[in-house]
Amino acid sequence: MTSSSMSKSRRIETAGAAVIHVDDVSQRFRVIHERPDTLRELFARFLRHNASYHDFDAVKNVSLDIPKGQMVGLIGRNGSGKSTLLKIIAGVYRPTKGSVQVTGSLAPLIELGAGFHSELTGRENIVLNGLLMGYSRQQMEDREDSIIEFSELGEFIDAPVKQYSSGMYSRLAFAVATEVDPDILLLDEILAVGDAPFRVKCLARIEAFRERGKTIVYVTHDMQQVRNYCDRAIFLDKGEVLADSEPEEAIRAYMTLWSPEAITTTARLSSTPV
Amino acid sequence: MIQLVRDAIRYHELIWALALKELKVRYKRSVLGFLWALLNPALLMLVLTAVFASIMKFPIPHYPVFLLCVLLPWTFFSQALAYGAESIVANGELIKKISLPKSVFPMAALVSNLINLLLSMIPLMLLVPILRHPFYVTWLYLPVPMLALAIFTLGAMFFFAAANVYYRDVSHILQIVLQAWFYITPVIFPLDFIPEKYRWIFKLNPLIYVVNGFRLAVYYGQLPHLQSIAASFVCAFLMLFIGYYLFRRHQNDFVFYV
Repeated sequence: MTSSSMSKSRRIETAGAAVIHVDDVSQRFRVIHERPDTLRELFARFLRHNASYHDFDAVKNVSLDIPKGQMVGLIGRNGSGKSTLLKIIAGVYRPTKGSVQVTGSLAPLIELGAGFHSELTGRENIVLNGLLMGYSRQQMEDREDSIIEFSELGEFIDAPVKQYSSGMYSRLAFAVATEVDPDILLLDEILAVGDAPFRVKCLARIEAFRERGKTIVYVTHDMQQVRNYCDRAIFLDKGEVLADSEPEEAIRAYMTLWSPEAITTTARLSSTPV
Repeated sequence: MIQLVRDAIRYHELIWALALKELKVRYKRSVLGFLWALLNPALLMLVLTAVFASIMKFPIPHYPVFLLCVLLPWTFFSQALAYGAESIVANGELIKKISLPKSVFPMAALVSNLINLLLSMIPLMLLVPILRHPFYVTWLYLPVPMLALAIFTLGAMFFFAAANVYYRDVSHILQIVLQAWFYITPVIFPLDFIPEKYRWIFKLNPLIYVVNGFRLAVYYGQLPHLQSIAASFVCAFLMLFIGYYLFRRHQNDFVFYV
């Protein structure tokens, strides 16, 4: 990590104490080209002595502090490590290197409806999903009515979720995750789903979260949303933080690196015969 | 081990909800629903009684009682273990998205199968008076072997669930292991039926003490010796210790393999 980006993150830190503290985190994945899923394959591989895998770092030496109440946009291309970083913060991955500290309750919306069970009804899933996120049955039952109202499901709430349309499914999931009032909300491109009216409703709710001083980390490809809503943007590329600043600056860095001209140059270079 | 107890307490609502979900899904779309938990052992009882008491003529009075008081706990053990071994892989999508102590999944599998076991004891309780077999006070002792069995089963679940994450062959191997295990457990016949020289094989079976407790209490109206009770708990805690140790050591890596 370069000293310049470190000082940047320190400058932004002034808003309050860090609720998310990521310290020099790397996440290494072993990509096994042909994974030995069974013992037979393992033996075969053992006999041939060719362990065919390579390691790659999905996230490389990332350090950041996110203070309470900040809304941070994570931007970058597909595979740049945005979702991996989000999962590290959520505690799904234990990083290969470095440490993460999170203060406060956390609602990870890595994927809408993770933890929904298709055979159970919407109502049953509200409770189950809440329990999975660490809330109590009582807390979920208290919020049941407002969740149902926000999700606009009406009497479908007592049908098994496998009968839901994808829109209904994501409406319920969003409602559950945001109704429980977490301190920190992690959002992974979830607003790409749902129709326009519901998207407006979701954004309004995110806005309300922000006004109540909640911390939000938001992964998106919609630069307009980053400009409109985020206090800060972090541009990740190949697992490294290339920019960590006001949204406009980070977006510019992203756009410059991956501008149409730059992409064509890269393409031309790589297609040049060696 | 303390961590396990702490997780069990903290997540007891979740474990309970997951267990009920499992039962619900298991009996969903069947007309009789939960009744199957009762009907299954009852029908099994009819079949086995027909085979062993009428056709093979085992010289054991009230054979169905003799058989069921051990067969039901055994069925619990083998079913719970089969479910538990799959519990991490089956919940892989969840593990990839939500941060949770992974031990809740085997624990939920244990609870759902315990509920099933308790339900399946009802037909046995009905059978005892029907066959005019005495209803012994020692039934009250049953929670003790049940506890030992549950602890043992949980330990085995942790072991196989962790192993199954890395090699899916484990669940296939487990089926064979369970079949062999059934035959070195005195379920369908008493231990006396086994020639003396082979009996040591049976004595190596850690479940034998637990099984003995069930049969003594229900069929013979006796309590096991203190050594036998102690042995059953030693085996149970040893299994839990080994299984959980392995599970805990690897649980943070599960997410990369499911």
